[in-house]
Amino acid sequence: MTSDATRRRAVGHILLLVAGLVVLTVISAGSVILVNEARDDARWVVHTLEVESQISLVQLQLRRAESAQRGYLSTLLPAFQADFEEAATQLTPALTRLNQSTIDNSVQRNILVELLPLIKQRIEEFRETIALAQTEHVNDAARIVREGTGRDAMSHIDDLAGQMRSEEDRLFVLRTRSADRSQTLAASLTATGSGLVVVLAGISIFLVRRSARARDHAETQLRDNNLNLEATVDERTADLREANSEIQRFAYIVSHDLRSPLVNIMGFTSELEELRTDIFKRIGALRATAASVPPAPVADGTAEPVLEGEDKQLLQDFSEALEFIKSSIAKMDRLITAILNLTREGRREFEPVRIDTRELIEAIVTTVAHQAAEAHAEIRIAPLPEITSDRLALEQIFSNLIDNALKYLRPGVPGEVSVRGRTKLGFAIFEIADNGRGIDPKDHQRIFDLFRRAGTQDKPGQGIGLAHVRALVRRLGGTMSVSSELDHGSTFTITLPIHWTAANRNRDA
Amino acid sequence: MSKPVTIIMIEDDEGHARLIERNIRRSGVNNEIMPFTNGTEAVNYLFGSDGSGLDHKGRALLILLDLNLPDMTGIEILRRVKEDKYLKCAPVVVLTTTDDSLEIKRCYELGCNVYITKPVNYESFANAIRQLGLFFSVIQVPPAAT
Repeated sequence: MTSDATRRRAVGHILLLVAGLVVLTVISAGSVILVNEARDDARWVVHTLEVESQISLVQLQLRRAESAQRGYLSTLLPAFQADFEEAATQLTPALTRLNQSTIDNSVQRNILVELLPLIKQRIEEFRETIALAQTEHVNDAARIVREGTGRDAMSHIDDLAGQMRSEEDRLFVLRTRSADRSQTLAASLTATGSGLVVVLAGISIFLVRRSARARDHAETQLRDNNLNLEATVDERTADLREANSEIQRFAYIVSHDLRSPLVNIMGFTSELEELRTDIFKRIGALRATAASVPPAPVADGTAEPVLEGEDKQLLQDFSEALEFIKSSIAKMDRLITAILNLTREGRREFEPVRIDTRELIEAIVTTVAHQAAEAHAEIRIAPLPEITSDRLALEQIFSNLIDNALKYLRPGVPGEVSVRGRTKLGFAIFEIADNGRGIDPKDHQRIFDLFRRAGTQDKPGQGIGLAHVRALVRRLGGTMSVSSELDHGSTFTITLPIHWTAANRNRDA
Repeated sequence: MSKPVTIIMIEDDEGHARLIERNIRRSGVNNEIMPFTNGTEAVNYLFGSDGSGLDHKGRALLILLDLNLPDMTGIEILRRVKEDKYLKCAPVVVLTTTDDSLEIKRCYELGCNVYITKPVNYESFANAIRQLGLFFSVIQVPPAAT
């Protein structure tokens, strides 16, 4: 359910993001388009104004030319002639510009087609009158002016210019409106877009805040869980320690209490043994009396009673039963002693000290030198790393393993036992290898179990050594393993921390 | 020895008691043996009704003590005996199945005179008891303090 909600929320975020992106894109694109349009419209408005000003300029120059002509005619001053020439020259480019700027408009074009010859005609007329005046025909010139054709043409020109201007005015209104519209559109588009963006941002903020709240909640829960977990682990550890020490006490008490009846059983069995001698001696004596044979001189009672037939059989059965009882008791005593020693080991406090491992193993080898010589075995010790650990425990570990290596050699093959060592990542790895009889892989686990043994049972032992060794290695914070095959020797590998401190494992055991 | 020594045997296991007694007798010791099968009775006898041990003033006692008793530990009895001004001179022989070195050390610290572990091996057991008999006949058991 939670994962579902999370997925939904993620999808929502993505949708929101996409929507925001789309809105922004639309606004940007729309703005670009509309701004371009507005710029176009503005250009067209400017164009209209320019055309109008051109028209005014043309009219102005024409008027100027006319007034210069009149002035000249009336005064004959050459300054007026110069004025006229200037106006006429300026008129031509003004007309050209007007022509160019109205090239796209057919209405203006038509008017202009009508207008241009009229203007040209007027200018020609001015020029003619001025020429007449220069050649002393002022009257002719005045006549021409007076004829009034010029005035008609002039009013026609004004009329046409007025038409052009009104056309431009119409266009101006049209273009201004269009510019206004595109600007309004751009503004409303921007406003709408901004509104949408604000709404989306609002939704985003809401969602983000909700996510943050959910995250905070999850964090709190996680922290709580961690605390709970720690508490649980502590509790369990305490329980385990308690259980462990309970087992230790239990084993100790049991082995003690088991011993007590064993003392009795053994004691009274021995008493029975004594009685047996007495009883059978007496039987022998009685038989002898019954058979009226003079009793054998066995008065001191140390010698075995002389018996025959059934009685002898009885004595043998009796002795056999007692022997079985006694050997069983002895075995049980050994087992109990072993358990007692193990629990005692478990209770012993380890003390970490710096140990020269090679020296320690050499000392062990010295103590088993006799055994090794008997088995024709050679023990080689490679250079070994120094470690910090419990000396007694290490002695027990290595002497057990070396002992085993010597004990389980292949008969008739000179033994070779080697002890090697190396270090890796803060751990020292020791290997005790032999060329002995080896261990079947299916027994590799079993040999570490208490009271369990493997292979041919031709050597005395309780099946305790390896169990003890493994318990010690574990208490020292290490691990041990075996690799072996039948008839191909065994290699026991022990991994121990180089710097073991009593703090980590001692209290657990 | 002005007075015969009385052997106080505090041992909850009757079989053990019997075996101990037999072996003591076999070693030629014929002193009176008073068996107790639990701590309370033994304590009542040793310290008397007032708990001072005054009853045994002037008597020669030897205490054979088992450490694992059903109602109290032998160590507790040992401590009380060695703290009592009338009884503290009485030799205490601790006879127990425990061969824990810490426990042995503790007993000697509290003033036990001999510590014998009961071996399952009967010969060793009988031997230990017989040597104890020899020990009885050799040591001069002082009478309880006057």
